[in-house]
Amino acid sequence: MAYGLFLGCNMPAIRPDVEKAIRLTMPALGVELLDMEGYVCCPAFGTFPSLDEEAHLAVSAWNLSIGEKKGVDILVECGSCYRSLRSGKRCLDQHEAHRKRANELLAKTGRSYEGKATPRHISDVLLHEVGLSTIRAAVKKPLGGLRAVVQYPCHTLFPHKTVGFEESSVRPHGLADLVEALGASVEHFSAEYQCCGGAGGFHGSSKAEANAFAKTKLDAIIAETRADLIVVSCITCLMHLDNVQKELSRDGASYAIPVFDYNQLLALCMGFDAQQVASLCTVPRQAIVNALR
Amino acid sequence: MIDLDVAQRNLWQDIDPHGNLLYCFSCSTCVVGCPASNAIPPLLIRNLVRSVTLGLEDDLLDNDTPWTCVTCSRCEEMCPMGVDPFEIVLALRRWQCRNDETRIPMAAAEIYKRGYTQPVDKAQEVRASVGLTEPLPTINRLPELHQQFKDMLMQVEIIHNADYMFED
Ligand code: SF4
Ligand code: SF4
Repeated sequence: MAYGLFLGCNMPAIRPDVEKAIRLTMPALGVELLDMEGYVCCPAFGTFPSLDEEAHLAVSAWNLSIGEKKGVDILVECGSCYRSLRSGKRCLDQHEAHRKRANELLAKTGRSYEGKATPRHISDVLLHEVGLSTIRAAVKKPLGGLRAVVQYPCHTLFPHKTVGFEESSVRPHGLADLVEALGASVEHFSAEYQCCGGAGGFHGSSKAEANAFAKTKLDAIIAETRADLIVVSCITCLMHLDNVQKELSRDGASYAIPVFDYNQLLALCMGFDAQQVASLCTVPRQAIVNALR
Repeated sequence: MIDLDVAQRNLWQDIDPHGNLLYCFSCSTCVVGCPASNAIPPLLIRNLVRSVTLGLEDDLLDNDTPWTCVTCSRCEEMCPMGVDPFEIVLALRRWQCRNDETRIPMAAAEIYKRGYTQPVDKAQEVRASVGLTEPLPTINRLPELHQQFKDMLMQVEIIHNADYMFED
């Protein structure tokens, strides 16, 4: 089982410990990862998709055709990248005129777009290709006794017809199942399916309101659960839920729930070095790392 | 007061030629689930759709709220009328860009110049700290391919017309 590893922008530049965790855990579970030479930004929705449809689809086709040329599907962790690549593929596959134009634009690269490479979210691959029993068997240090809450990335839920890989977009349970396979218990709370609020222009243009929005989620976690950690599977959710706690703590309150990408936890449970797979964070993770020693 | 006599009644054709937004019945489902409806000023997607169908061109050209969307697509999933409000958000941004060059996202020019919205090629130190020492095959390390990428995008009319924003 081989995939092209689509890194996006934030993971390799700001949170490469997540990249390292993915590069260590996935091959150990039988998933071979191939680098995508000359890949570019997904394109993020705030860039070409907000400027011009033809440019948007040309950039989508650029990235998708790299996987296609290698004869592999594409593995994505970042929710925005996943959604952008899925939308690009759907549009190119459904509209011949778009596909034709994208291929004209791609012509000089010697690559073409035929729609053969499918972007897959890493949770989808872990659930449906690797499987929970393989994950359970790979765990050397289980998270026994720890309580987690999960954050489902919106971009893996909506719109279901484009991105969905679970039966229901409004009652997802895949990430909780994956966390339980590591030995932790997952607690549920009222704001579980609320967006983190970290993507797009909301936080940049309306910081106080975006922070208040994230606060309702964190307050619900604190009031309704005994969570020791938050588990996400999207680089935006990870950075936002981690960093926003520091911003909120400045206002007198104290928020300090460690946040992990799923593959970081998986890597720790499989015995990989915490410095390599989980060292970059705002809220300290030491309590969780120590519990796994 | 909105003066409907000066409205551009065919505006929707310029923004959403598929005409999906004509099916909107103002139920506000898209607003109640929208994270960015909490922004100030709030993103009220229902009102934007309404402004398009009424043809309120000047109001829409000045409206910054489409840019606060977090791209979560709840509205697209939940809209009972298949309006695809998220697609309307993107269509509005593109329409604003077509009418006002200053709306062109700087991040698009950043991707043109460097391939990424973050300094992927300049993160060696932090990457080395987590044991990632192999250089990534990023597009800036592959000059011939990078030139092909730029040439591809320069064939797009709106980029060609604003080329000074894209070239260094
Ligand atoms: S959910 Fe759909 S029909 Fe309802 S107001 Fe929004 S766009 Fe209109
Ligand atoms: S996609 Fe944008 S407009 Fe739609 S609900 Fe999410 S933030 Fe609001």
